[in-house]
Amino acid sequence: MSQANVQAVDFDARARQVLSQTPLLSAKDLEVTFSLRGNKLTAIRGASLDLYEGETLAIVGESGSGKSVFTKCFVGMLDKNGSITGGSIMYQGEDLAQFTEKDWLRIRGRKIAMVTQDPMTSLNPLKSIGKQIQESVELHQGIKGKEAKAEVIRILKAVGIPEPERRYKQYPHEFSGGMRQRVVIAIAVACRPQILICDEPTTALDVTIQAQILDLIRRLQKEQNMTIIYITHDLGVVANVADRVAVMYGGQVIEIGMANEVFFDPKHPYTWALLSALPQLGVKGEKLPAIDGTPPNLFNKIKGDAFAPRNRYALNIDYIEEPPMYEVTATHNVKAWLRDPRAPKVEQPKAIERLSELSKPTGTDPNAYHPHLDPNRETLLQVKDLQVTFGSGRKKFVAVNDVNFEIYKGETFALVGESGSGKTTIGRAIVRINPITKGEILFKGERISGRISKEMDTKVIRSLQMIFQDPMASLNERAKVDYIVSEGLINYHLYKNEHDRQDKVQKALQEVGLLTEFSSRFPHEFSGGQRQRIGIARSLIMQPEFIVADEPISALDVSIRAQVLNLLNELKKQRGLTYLFIAHDLSVVRFISDRIAVIHKGQIVELAEAEELFAHPLHPYTKALLSAVPNPNPYVERVKQLLVYDPSVHDYSVDKPVWSEIKTDHFVYGNQKELDGYAAELGL
Amino acid sequence: MAKKQHKRKTVQELEQPVVKLDVDYSAVDKEPKKERPYGRAYLGARSAMPEEQLFEFAEYRPQDAERTGYSNYSYWKSVWQNFVRNKPAIIMSVVFILLFIFTFVAESLSQYDVATLRQDNQSIFLLPSSEHWFGTTQAGKDYWVITWYATRVSLALAGLVAVGQIIAGTVIGLVWGYVRKLDRFFTELYNLIDNIPTIIYMTLIALMVGQSLGIMAVTMIAFGWLGTARNVRNLVFMYRDREYNLASRCLGTRLWRVLFKNIFPYLISVIVLRLTLAIPGTIAYETTLSYLGLISEEYSLGILLRNARDSFLRYPHMLIFPAVIVSIITITFYLVGNAFSDACDPRNHV
Repeated sequence: MSQANVQAVDFDARARQVLSQTPLLSAKDLEVTFSLRGNKLTAIRGASLDLYEGETLAIVGESGSGKSVFTKCFVGMLDKNGSITGGSIMYQGEDLAQFTEKDWLRIRGRKIAMVTQDPMTSLNPLKSIGKQIQESVELHQGIKGKEAKAEVIRILKAVGIPEPERRYKQYPHEFSGGMRQRVVIAIAVACRPQILICDEPTTALDVTIQAQILDLIRRLQKEQNMTIIYITHDLGVVANVADRVAVMYGGQVIEIGMANEVFFDPKHPYTWALLSALPQLGVKGEKLPAIDGTPPNLFNKIKGDAFAPRNRYALNIDYIEEPPMYEVTATHNVKAWLRDPRAPKVEQPKAIERLSELSKPTGTDPNAYHPHLDPNRETLLQVKDLQVTFGSGRKKFVAVNDVNFEIYKGETFALVGESGSGKTTIGRAIVRINPITKGEILFKGERISGRISKEMDTKVIRSLQMIFQDPMASLNERAKVDYIVSEGLINYHLYKNEHDRQDKVQKALQEVGLLTEFSSRFPHEFSGGQRQRIGIARSLIMQPEFIVADEPISALDVSIRAQVLNLLNELKKQRGLTYLFIAHDLSVVRFISDRIAVIHKGQIVELAEAEELFAHPLHPYTKALLSAVPNPNPYVERVKQLLVYDPSVHDYSVDKPVWSEIKTDHFVYGNQKELDGYAAELGL
Repeated sequence: MAKKQHKRKTVQELEQPVVKLDVDYSAVDKEPKKERPYGRAYLGARSAMPEEQLFEFAEYRPQDAERTGYSNYSYWKSVWQNFVRNKPAIIMSVVFILLFIFTFVAESLSQYDVATLRQDNQSIFLLPSSEHWFGTTQAGKDYWVITWYATRVSLALAGLVAVGQIIAGTVIGLVWGYVRKLDRFFTELYNLIDNIPTIIYMTLIALMVGQSLGIMAVTMIAFGWLGTARNVRNLVFMYRDREYNLASRCLGTRLWRVLFKNIFPYLISVIVLRLTLAIPGTIAYETTLSYLGLISEEYSLGILLRNARDSFLRYPHMLIFPAVIVSIITITFYLVGNAFSDACDPRNHV
């Protein structure tokens, strides 16, 4: 789309540029402590970082790594109970670490500005968009009234908001998520800051919108010559934007280097693990090399290297002493004992090499069994003409319309779409949380939607289970793991005696890779990945045949996603499970699923075998979605061509669209004219 | 010596079942009994390690990785720890417990009992003295025994009414909030009862049914659940559509189990607060009703205060003693209620 990212980046030139400069901002041995009801949490444990003018630095790390807290120190926005207890942040000859609230007024917003993660909460819902930007303009640029308004309209236009005069008067609820994030960016850049900190600016947005926002920030950076810090956990975003990458773990910067160095020649075992756990680098049908366990508890004093207990390459010294920073190249530094001359030599994991071939299809196991190709395939679940509506009368909203698909026994069927597309609604309609308005759902040929008999109800509950998206919300915080896991057993009294019940709980916990001693604990003691596995154990204990997995990994950290994906694949093999896998991320879906259905605004637009869909996407929406998928290879990601889907290309006024099988097992939604076009594309 | 202890621990650790994880760690369990230190627990042993071993690979244990991040937590233990931190609440609860025990022994300390009348004219309205510690009443009865007897009656009434109100209010509130179909019914019922001042019901019942404490207690419960129920209902809305409740639906959990296992525990802090505030509230209410003459009981703190209204200018002891006791009870429950409800809120447990 935009010209800026069509040309490949020359990282070496950027590295020379960095080396020739003195840092614009330099944080040294920063330590930040929070006090929480008498307990001390050291969120940043001596992190150091140099920022150079005009560059884009990405800080990567999982939740709790301190990446957000670290950068909040640069704008003086630490929460009230936190304070900088050590180190310095030098900027223009001043130490920001010593600043008082009054000093910050000179810097915050004017020199260093911030864009936060959630566009839903960072705007004031009671003030019009224009007024909110104008406030910032009047405060920092010293212009008032008409002049300020003209400036606001100029800024709105600059961040790509159509009809800025009309939009000026509108309120945040009249804007979509992506538009709102544009407004937040507009406020941040309104006073032309030197440094812009973007804290997960696109995490809450859909992939197609994400790509547009990243483009926008890149363009603004060029126009205003800003230095940008991105905080993100998404390696695809990093590949897209970063000149340099800093990896954080346990409150420290453990590896920092040019993007090509960190992606293609990482040196820290944590970076190795992080990259090789990417589903994009996985071979279908094989296990992903997951990182076990959970991030460290920063309430405890950490001795040695914080990553040691999860590190398969940990040395004895990692448990005793914290490693120093080792220099790999002039721009690449690593904090790991493995770089010590006395340490054994270790090859980087194989998976990382696959990064350079990423534009090719994922590897597949040729002997893998594909249930949908089996001539005796058995339809486990059938959805016929499904319609789900919410509300009634004038407020009626059709969430899902005219949806048809079949899921065969033993396959993983993925349903992909953006937020609000109705994918979760379909999943919930299948497990009968959402009542359906039209159509029917058949399980093994028997109708399970609408009114059904009591025995049928019990049977459906036992054979259809669901895994939820948010591991934080899907477990009852006030019940012990033991109760949570055995809830289904208790409801149908599926155990002989108390001993038998405990036995079953322990088996279920072991099966999902948790320690049996966890059963007497409460959910909040666990990390997201562990909680998600508890949720899986809860559904498994019912011995289901079919599981609806509603975005089971989208709320998890990168390092933990692989654990859950492996587990789902393993269970499928062992128990012959069938999944409906709901997701918004096509790259994950490609790794895990046999067939993929793409849903847009409550309508399935295309359905095909996974590799077929990636190789020959037909519907323009599928094409747009595929073009926006983030790719963790910086060279590929930077030159990708974004396609934008415009629903007005369909002219359905006369020629009505139909759901049609254009090729064996490849379905697409379109009218006769479009179908002819698609057939021509496939060479049929 | 220290090293030996560590080794003993090693064996224990190893005897725990080794959990198979979903990833192949062929290196992990190759020599499980090898006497080489690994994991956090062996720091002591490691520090004493010769330098050449420092740069050898440490043994990798997936269990250790699973364990990081683990914290030792028990809900009620944290509640207690948080509660104990609130000093005024602790002091007041000790004072209250002593007062409560004292109501049972106080009468036996005196030579008089509730029924004893001093039949001489000099014995009415005696000021406190060594013989009558709280003085005497206008009927010439010992005020010490009467006050403590009345305290016991009031506390029993308040306890009964408060518990009754809260149980009724919580159960109704849970159903009201969770079962969508019943929302309309309960809302209308609430409006119907709430729009007419309670004092009118109370007067009508006192005049038509009777004025005994028992009847009043039942009446107070019958109208007192409203506030709690509404409060609970509004809170249920916050939790009703959380994913874990959807999960319970997928697992076929019955309504009552969902209400009491999934939702009730989240409301404990609010319910505890309402309960502790309902006790002084009931005592105050009973005082009002007694003052208006709607309760025909012989003695309760409310009745003592009512009786004192004619004479307290000349005989202040008639007012002071019951008033001090009412104040202690009210303040205690207020402080303890707030402290306990804060302690029950897991957001305050780190």
